[in-house]
Amino acid sequence: MNLTVLWNLLVTGILRGGLYALMAGGLALLFGVMNICNFAHGELFVVGAYVAYFAYVTFGLPPLLAILIAAGASFLVGALLEKSLILPLRRRSKGEWIMNTFLLTSGLSVVMQNTAQRVWGVRYRGITQYWAGTIRITPTMSVAVDRAVAFLIAVVGITGFWLFLRRTNVGRAIRAVSQNETGAMLVGIDLDNIQTLTFALGSMLAGLGGASMLSLIPAYPFAGGKPNITSWFVVTVVGLGNVSGSIVGGFIVGLVESFAFFYLGSGWQDVFSLGVIILILLVKPSGLFGSEVKGVLER
Amino acid sequence: MLEVSQLQASYGPLQVIWGVSLHVEQGEFVALIGPNGAGKTTTLRAIMGLVKPLSGTIAFNGQTLNGLKANQITRKGISFVTEDLDLFDGMTVHDNLILGAFSLHDRAQVEGTLESVYDLFPILAERHRQLAGTLSGGERKMLAIGRGLMLSPSLILVDEPSLGLAPKLVLAVFEALKQLHERGSTILLVEQNVYTTLHMTNRAYVLENGQVVMEGPSSDLLRNEHLQRTYISMGAAGEGGFPAPADGGGPAL
Amino acid sequence: MTDVTQTNQTDSSPTRSIWPTVWRWLQDSPIQPVAWPLLAILLLLPVVFRDAYLHRLLAASLLFGAQAMVFDFTGGYINAVNFGFAAFVGLGAYTSGLLAVNAGISPWIGMPAGALAAGLVGFITGALTLRLRGVYVSIMAWFVGLALMAVTYAMVGLTRGAQGINVPYLLETPDTLPYYYILLGMTVVIYVVLRLVIHSRVGLAFKAIGQNFEAARASGVDPTRYKLINFTLSCACAGLLGGFYAHFVGVLTPGMMVTDNTIEVMALSYIGGTGTLLGGLVTAFLITPLFDYLKGLMEIRLIIYGMLLILTMILYPAGLDGLFQWLVGRIKGRQKQG
Repeated sequence: MNLTVLWNLLVTGILRGGLYALMAGGLALLFGVMNICNFAHGELFVVGAYVAYFAYVTFGLPPLLAILIAAGASFLVGALLEKSLILPLRRRSKGEWIMNTFLLTSGLSVVMQNTAQRVWGVRYRGITQYWAGTIRITPTMSVAVDRAVAFLIAVVGITGFWLFLRRTNVGRAIRAVSQNETGAMLVGIDLDNIQTLTFALGSMLAGLGGASMLSLIPAYPFAGGKPNITSWFVVTVVGLGNVSGSIVGGFIVGLVESFAFFYLGSGWQDVFSLGVIILILLVKPSGLFGSEVKGVLER
Repeated sequence: MLEVSQLQASYGPLQVIWGVSLHVEQGEFVALIGPNGAGKTTTLRAIMGLVKPLSGTIAFNGQTLNGLKANQITRKGISFVTEDLDLFDGMTVHDNLILGAFSLHDRAQVEGTLESVYDLFPILAERHRQLAGTLSGGERKMLAIGRGLMLSPSLILVDEPSLGLAPKLVLAVFEALKQLHERGSTILLVEQNVYTTLHMTNRAYVLENGQVVMEGPSSDLLRNEHLQRTYISMGAAGEGGFPAPADGGGPAL
Repeated sequence: MTDVTQTNQTDSSPTRSIWPTVWRWLQDSPIQPVAWPLLAILLLLPVVFRDAYLHRLLAASLLFGAQAMVFDFTGGYINAVNFGFAAFVGLGAYTSGLLAVNAGISPWIGMPAGALAAGLVGFITGALTLRLRGVYVSIMAWFVGLALMAVTYAMVGLTRGAQGINVPYLLETPDTLPYYYILLGMTVVIYVVLRLVIHSRVGLAFKAIGQNFEAARASGVDPTRYKLINFTLSCACAGLLGGFYAHFVGVLTPGMMVTDNTIEVMALSYIGGTGTLLGGLVTAFLITPLFDYLKGLMEIRLIIYGMLLILTMILYPAGLDGLFQWLVGRIKGRQKQG
């Protein structure tokens, strides 16, 4: 394989990796803090994509603003969903909480997908690019500006998210809730507020992904399916609830996927990925870096 | 300051408290003693809003605490050091303490309180970058108390701090509590270590089977025959019992 | 199913009534008492509704309902939500279908073969994950299901991929009615087998312990073994139903294994009430014809399924079964007063 091909595979891999890192990070956060398995994560991606599309194409707003608005919209949608669905479930949930969230969110995912189909139809709403131009690194290796900026946005998003969790008071509160709910209450943290914030944050990350990748993945009702599967793939391989691991894992999966696609073609690429995860779970069911913290085994 | 009246509460599906009334005045060091399963922990948890009472009232400085969530009660100035400690194991000692002051906004005050906590527990200052999960048992108790202090609370509830500690450490923990009291804190202490507890405190309530069976000044209770027989070992003063804690600097661990 | 005592002591008739004995036998048997009237209704429905079109509707409802019942066997009894369920059904379907098309094997052998294939994959999946918490089982089952679907798409040489395959029908006749009764027979057999397992010594012990693993091991019950039997059996039954589906519908595509189909079955099972087996079955008969009657709703069928699932979980987790129990309680209450 020549250098151009290798380079393109790397670029695609890292770009997709950024997306997966964003989404997997959000998903891991949701599990780590709230013990929620969010099966509708892909649909928040689609929310971001649609909002960015309408902001950019229909309203003609500048790309960065469109993406920002999309992220904000996803944040709000996430907060709304948490307050209207997750909170009542928390109050009334009997039996296994984690399973209940899994089921509730899968029902939600179906509702969101098909509502979008009803409202906007199946038409692909994509763009060719936000920004024009190419960056030429060498005569044979170039990167579209559009792709480079999308990647940058993903990185900024991830970094911002990371810093928020580590350095701010609220971020610390979120981490506190994930480690010990009672302790968090005892220091005056309002659990309900933190949980709404966390869910909104995770949703925002997914929406940011959808918005920034619009030139790669157009907005349509079922666009969230593949990102959802891949996010879950990353999170499960890394170990549920491990946020930093999921971010790193996202990049790795993006790269591996890119090369697997090249060598195996799209059909077998899926089989390959799934085969890998099945093998990993065979050996270490809690994931590669599975934390014993939340408890993996049946009590 | 704290007024609990005719409290009835359950531990899960089982009712364990059948009409408990107690009060704690400002500056007092009050003990709640009694056998395992008497309902002492549940009483504290009910005060803190972690357990919803079946009936009865809990009032703090005239304000009703009934129905408030735990984090709201914390913001009223009550700290609770639980039996499990409920520390944030994945965070450093420093971060745990900082989180203790989560509800406060005066950064300068928080810094000052942090200093005094490190003063009281020098070992925490030494290990301030260490993860809470890696501390020893005694250090964790100190951290839990220290975190509770970060609030500059008006009232501190402590649940069985001596549990699981070697005698030397128990001594140190009690010494710290005594110091806190001397510096003006109001403390409600649940303990099974009756002898030393009664030596340290002003007043005590004895809880059995979810009801207060005895109350009064600690010195009186010490001389009580029933208590002596049931809770205090024979030949209390020397054998197995704890000598009256000496005054001095911070606890050595 | 609680209180049994009938107040026949005050009955002044000379002959002792056999009803208390019958009632007690009904209560103690593995077959839930409500299954008998339900079976009678299901047997008679095609007789009451003679239209051929309605027969197709009944068959479709029964197929959905049977799937919901098999799904509930794991979801409601061992807390393992098989999120790849549709793929296990598909595996059975393709196994039986391909055997018929490529090797000329009769569907009557193909269907059990499909059950075997699905049961085998289910066994492996279960063996790997059932000792872990429920969510891992679901995720793993989901990935297995996705892998099965991907393989079916990819092995174009064998399965013709997205184009799908045509599969010979089970019977010569174009009439739906015989299919309905065959399926009903299969459903009854499956139901009895499932109930026997639930009511077996191990099954009852498992239930009594309430999934407290420490207590289970202390009393000599191996909870993981029971869960594995349960899960494998459920997957095998799914494969069996898939085999039937293949020779009933006559066309197979890999798209039948898509997760949305699992969610449909899951929704039925939850709305009907988990842990009841029959709840989903009843719900299928209520919802499927309703959706067909309100033609326009077929399009947003999934939206309604999803919303019903969500609403059930938040507002009324006991599902239709809860409603049923409440009604029974009210009737009994009024009986006592009268």
